[in-house]
Amino acid sequence: MTPLLLAPLGLAALAALVVPLLVHLRRRTEDVPVDFAALRWLDPHPRPRRRLRLDEWLLLVLRLLLVALLAVLLARPAVLGWDDEAPRVLAVPGIDPAAARAAAGPEAELRWIAPGFPLVGEGAPPPHAGVSSLIRQFDAELPQGAPLTILVPPVLAGVDAAPLRLTRTATWRIVDGGETAAKPAAPPSPALAVRHAQGQAAALRYFRAVAAAWSDAPRFEAGPAGALPPRKSVLVWLVPGPVPASVSDWVSAGGTALLADAAEIAMPAASEALWRDDTGAVLVEGGALGEGRLMRFTRPLVPAAMPALVDAAFPARLRELVSPPAPPPARVRAEAFAPAAGTAPFALPPRDMSGWLAVLIAFVFLAERVLATRRQRPAA
Amino acid sequence: MARPPLTIPPEVRSRLQRLALRTRRDMGDRGYGMHHSRNKGAGLEFAQYRAYEPGDEPRRIDWKLFARSDKFFVREAEEESPVSVWMLIDASASMAQADRARADWSRMDAAKLLAMCIAQLALMQGDRFGWMALCDHGLVVADPHRGRTQFERMQIALARLESAGTFPDPATLSPLWERIGPNDLVLFLSDCFDEGGIALIERLAKAGREVLAVQLLTVEERDFPFDGGYRFREQESGAALIGDGKALRDSFLARFGEARAALAERLERVGIRHTAYVLDEAIDRPLHVFFGRGAPPA
Repeated sequence: MTPLLLAPLGLAALAALVVPLLVHLRRRTEDVPVDFAALRWLDPHPRPRRRLRLDEWLLLVLRLLLVALLAVLLARPAVLGWDDEAPRVLAVPGIDPAAARAAAGPEAELRWIAPGFPLVGEGAPPPHAGVSSLIRQFDAELPQGAPLTILVPPVLAGVDAAPLRLTRTATWRIVDGGETAAKPAAPPSPALAVRHAQGQAAALRYFRAVAAAWSDAPRFEAGPAGALPPRKSVLVWLVPGPVPASVSDWVSAGGTALLADAAEIAMPAASEALWRDDTGAVLVEGGALGEGRLMRFTRPLVPAAMPALVDAAFPARLRELVSPPAPPPARVRAEAFAPAAGTAPFALPPRDMSGWLAVLIAFVFLAERVLATRRQRPAA
Repeated sequence: MARPPLTIPPEVRSRLQRLALRTRRDMGDRGYGMHHSRNKGAGLEFAQYRAYEPGDEPRRIDWKLFARSDKFFVREAEEESPVSVWMLIDASASMAQADRARADWSRMDAAKLLAMCIAQLALMQGDRFGWMALCDHGLVVADPHRGRTQFERMQIALARLESAGTFPDPATLSPLWERIGPNDLVLFLSDCFDEGGIALIERLAKAGREVLAVQLLTVEERDFPFDGGYRFREQESGAALIGDGKALRDSFLARFGEARAALAERLERVGIRHTAYVLDEAIDRPLHVFFGRGAPPA
């Protein structure tokens, strides 16, 4: 346990100690006049007293203490190594709280793995979020020597790709009876909405074929430029010339649009090549625009210019392009994800003692006031 | 100046009942009575009857005897005391000194109250008493009389008395010699710091008057409780001395003690009984020292 000061320059406030000293210094320059008839027996040449003299010692000591404590408060006192090494138990949200309590024992400090690490039993179980990151954080902030137990369901969700390596050997306990997440259904095929200029419907058939290839019940519609489709659909814009602002607004608000090469638009700054053919030539480029994505073919949609149009892999390739990016894999079998020890421990931040010091200052101040305002106080 | 008349506190008054003013002559060979004399007069103690003479007051005729004998007789009583009690009160400025702890109780106040106590004693035993205030602008003299009227006059006169100036010089004091009779009892109430006062009572004692001296001291003069810087000022000459209380204390107490011892020796040499009264003591303590039999009150 090492006491230390986080802001040692605050001790410069100790210079204020001189103030109570000055207040209590007896004002010897004032000579109190007093009638004294027996003057002739006083020594006419008394030896002078040079010593500084102070009044009301107890009050002075209290005031000095008060000023010193305030200076220490400014210097932000802290204590290093004064840590609570009680065992902790963490539970992954989704575990039944009763089962978690039974597994941890009735006295253990049981917390959810969630931002802020709320205690189990206080309020509703928090939503599921970044489990492995939170476990690493909790481990790093825990003093060395405090045992850690982690309660997990058989299948753990919300983990990241790196295996868990902690600063201590944590107990990894798999608790049955947690929620079993159902296998998520495959996402439905995207709906295509093609907008084309009057009389330029030649490329339309490729997209109609793509939609038919994606699903037995193809979701496809086509029409002239005008009304924009609902935002869930993928907009295919085949109208040559400048793209109206309504389309870029539609994309910015979260839509996905695929433009023909003849569409004139300022591509987003973060554009990159999204699809290259076998020779390495860019076929589709694009990037995020606002909350949506904007993509553009770099070649005319004719097989002569773009042989991939008639390639059998075109529908699958296009679906990859327009589908929203899949979340990274985050589910793992808990027994395969048991944490290993070996990470170098982190230096814990010192514990700030300002609160306790403030309480002490309040008591000293109270005592000072009581002493300074008591009845039988010698006249200054 | 509207001051309340001086009154003696009840507990002091009850203690005074145990005392009697005695001169040294009373305590001598004769052993009983108070200031007896053979002079006849209008006192209380019956002495004899004598025949009425023209010029006697009719109220002094004993009418019961007249009824029995059909002659006028006049009651005569002993004139009890030829002794007058004189109170000499020093009224110089130094008498106005009081302790800081009790600013309304000066040496002068103590002297006045002590004088009232003496007057009360004299009143109780029928002695004549008078007083003199020794002011530098002239003596304030009240000739000795007996009775309550005199006591009340004294109450009023002392309430008016202020202490100021220096101790009077011998020329101002000269009327004193005409007033104080040879056998009178003189109580001198003063701080005894003035050489003039000491010389006066020495002369009085040498001239056959019985002198009792009470030196009135303040608590500060006895204890010197000063701590810190002070400007000590002498009231009569205006001289001042700046000094630190703690530094001055030891030398002052030593020198003041020597001075009091020298004074005591000087007074004893001429046969003056004396005592010191400090302002925090009971006011009748000097009287118990002079006239009492038991231990004086604190």
